[in-house]
Amino acid sequence: MSKSEPRIGVYVCHCGLNIGAVVDVAAVAQYAQTLPGVVVSRESTYTCSDNGQRSIQEDIENHNLSRVVVASCSPRMHGDTFMKTCETAGLNPYLFEMVNIREQCSWVHTDKEQATEKAKDLVRMAVAKVRLLEPLEKQKSAVNKAALVIGGGVAGIFSALYLANAGIKTYVVEKKPSIGGHMAQLDKTFPTLDCSLCILSPRMADIGKHENIELITYADIENISGYAGNFQVTVKSNPRYVIKENCRLCGVCAEKCPISLPDEFNMGLKKRKAVYIPFPQAVPNYYLIDAGHCLHITKGGCMLCQKNCPNDAIDFEETEAVRELNVGAIIVATGFELYDATQKKEYGYGRYPNVITNMDFERWVSADGPTHGKVVRPSDGAPPQRIGFIQCVGSRDEKEGAVYCSRICCMATVKQATMLREKYPSAEIYVYYTDMRTPGKGFEEFYQRGREHGIVFIRGKPGEIEEDDNHNLLIVSEDTDSGLILRNTLDLVVLACGLRPPEALEELAQKLHLSRSPDGFIMEAHPKLRPAETSISGVFLTGCVQFPKDIPDTVAQSGGAAAMAAALLTKDEIELEPVRAAVDEELCIGCGLCEENCDYGAIEVKKTEEGMKAQVIEVACQGCGVCAASCPQKAVTVRHFTDGQLLAQVTAALEPEVIV
Amino acid sequence: MTFSPRIVGFMCNWCSYAGADLAGISRIKYAPNLRIIRVLCSGRVDPYVVLTAFQKGADGVLVAGCHPGDCHYISGNYQAEKKMKATWKILSKAGIDQERLGLEWISAAEGQRFADVVNSFTQLITELGPLQADPQKIASAKEETADFRIRWLVGREKDLLEEGNVFGEPVEEAVFETLLDDVVSAQYIRNSILTVLKEQSMSAKELAETLEIPSHVVVEHLIHLRRGQKVHMVEGHPIRYEVSAW
Repeated sequence: MSKSEPRIGVYVCHCGLNIGAVVDVAAVAQYAQTLPGVVVSRESTYTCSDNGQRSIQEDIENHNLSRVVVASCSPRMHGDTFMKTCETAGLNPYLFEMVNIREQCSWVHTDKEQATEKAKDLVRMAVAKVRLLEPLEKQKSAVNKAALVIGGGVAGIFSALYLANAGIKTYVVEKKPSIGGHMAQLDKTFPTLDCSLCILSPRMADIGKHENIELITYADIENISGYAGNFQVTVKSNPRYVIKENCRLCGVCAEKCPISLPDEFNMGLKKRKAVYIPFPQAVPNYYLIDAGHCLHITKGGCMLCQKNCPNDAIDFEETEAVRELNVGAIIVATGFELYDATQKKEYGYGRYPNVITNMDFERWVSADGPTHGKVVRPSDGAPPQRIGFIQCVGSRDEKEGAVYCSRICCMATVKQATMLREKYPSAEIYVYYTDMRTPGKGFEEFYQRGREHGIVFIRGKPGEIEEDDNHNLLIVSEDTDSGLILRNTLDLVVLACGLRPPEALEELAQKLHLSRSPDGFIMEAHPKLRPAETSISGVFLTGCVQFPKDIPDTVAQSGGAAAMAAALLTKDEIELEPVRAAVDEELCIGCGLCEENCDYGAIEVKKTEEGMKAQVIEVACQGCGVCAASCPQKAVTVRHFTDGQLLAQVTAALEPEVIV
Repeated sequence: MTFSPRIVGFMCNWCSYAGADLAGISRIKYAPNLRIIRVLCSGRVDPYVVLTAFQKGADGVLVAGCHPGDCHYISGNYQAEKKMKATWKILSKAGIDQERLGLEWISAAEGQRFADVVNSFTQLITELGPLQADPQKIASAKEETADFRIRWLVGREKDLLEEGNVFGEPVEEAVFETLLDDVVSAQYIRNSILTVLKEQSMSAKELAETLEIPSHVVVEHLIHLRRGQKVHMVEGHPIRYEVSAW
């Protein structure tokens, strides 16, 4: 670092009126000019614009600036932008400091005088820090050119295929015994009424046989460590007790199996055996044994499947398999869980046989379902003539813990009602809605067609459902458009259940260190500009794990996530953040506290000629600074967040008269 | 004019600083007293820096990190909690109300909570009034945050509680607390002695009077300080002590 007095340029941004309307930008810029070392201080309407950036670059050149301070929005918003501006003009990007006078000043304060004073304080603090900054060089690290996709629903399937087709080795890890996710359970998709499995199963098959894809199903993510370009992931596969190569799908094992269980794929409306195949189009397509219910595994004996298998495919000796995957990027595509309708006690799901959920409906109407596609009253098997749909069950319902709209249920109901209309042309179909939301290509047209086909839409959410002795359902609701109280007796009620973050997401989010939004879904890096990225570099998002969305939006986001992962994985090496710990070996006494406190194993005490000294393992260090805050000798520091820099900020905040 | 407290905040980049940004994006208004210093992790906040803030005139210091279990790193917020707990002990030795040092968990999604925390903390500090602590006491407390023994003990806490001591015996939390209390108390007296002696040399009796502690306690600590070569005796009547050059 040059020992001469730093030459600082300060740029105070109006951000249109975002800052300028509350903070006196001119006064802040004038004030900055009086601070020690400040050579240039300017205000600008939009510092991030081309003009704004060029002005900084010209000043760097013409005024020989050695430090730059921009007072504008959050460094989380434009920190990178201005670091690049400096770098392009030949100034080390780590000689730049950003002052947040928008998110943390003009947007949160109304008193202009107080906001302006605060902005001046913040600028002074940044100037104090920037004087002490040192140029840092980015280290390079080799990129492991493989990707991991967590989740094998439509979101995971498409991102994996995009990656694999781009020539990238991709691992797909799925919790369930088959990929396919919720989309595989749907009968048809809106608004085109395509058969869901007809469009999905060829892609599922592609996953199973793609030369660049390795599919690991019935498996859990145990542990994840590392960083962008170099993640280590431990995956544990559960034993299926069936040898894939030997299984010919004859089904004799299931015929002989004495244990009968609710079939999850069919929402418990059908039975399956303890040895089973999840659904006919499952990928990988071979049987498995449900260890939690198998008579032999739980109690011993039985083994009827093994005795009767004509091809020796049953192997009770199989154990769980743990393996390590080394990947450069991770795409999280773990989807959603359907709202548990039994929570909504007033609608009687689980107590009244003729109240079903939207997902139950999908199975009833499916050719593979319990009635081969015939929608009937579960109580007596009669064809329903009066059917009601209730919208927003577990969505837009603060009491049920979800303020958000689940986005797909309106269209799913229009689809289901349309399908019912085809099957029962004379049936009365009512949809009780809060607001019909149909924003999507062809969605509104589809909704209007439904209205034309005599589906009755009633604005008003029923308070409760009662049941009579014949299992007919009585619904009282207010039609908020007409103000009339409506009493309706129905044969069948379908609850349009909303989408929830899966319960297991909390654990996965912790393993990946991902933030979650208040709704429980994973928080994206930026809601508009980086919807498929996360706060962790190298970890991407797609599908309902970020927020409820329909199939077209999910597939589009999968493309985005895959493109970004590919952009990372096609590089030979990536630049690592140089904000890392550093040891002053003169002060270090080799006590080892830093090593003990480091969660990343990134600092080690080693024998040197001067005795035991701590040494930083640069690629492993994440820059958190726990070591620096702990060191009893104050021998460890974190570059860019040194004690001296923090103390300078503290002093500048509290002692404005002290010239740094 | 009503008292408007001066508050310095240390916010972790990933949760609390992002929570502050969200409060801004959501245009939630809050008190303008806080001056935020961005750190990558709440675990980076050195108690020494916190005490410096008090020394320089902060009426309150607010440290905020990710919720327990949600640390962007692995356990930085846990480390921050240990450090702030020890700092609370040190503050009370210096006669500073512990509540002036706030520790809060604010996620990136909690814009409203960020504003609520800032408002209630500002309110609390306003009620407590300006920090009127004895500069000598703050100086001693600050020295204490730099003290080897205390930093070592705080740094070892997690391991001592979870993994055990050198004999592999896990230390109970209550035992650890007592131990830390003892060390903080002893070290505080030693730092006070050093702070006073830096100004002028004194006899044990004079030290006892100045610091308002029994002279046998002063002597006990002087012995330790002499052994650590922090002070030395000046021959004469009475025997005086002065700070040794480092």
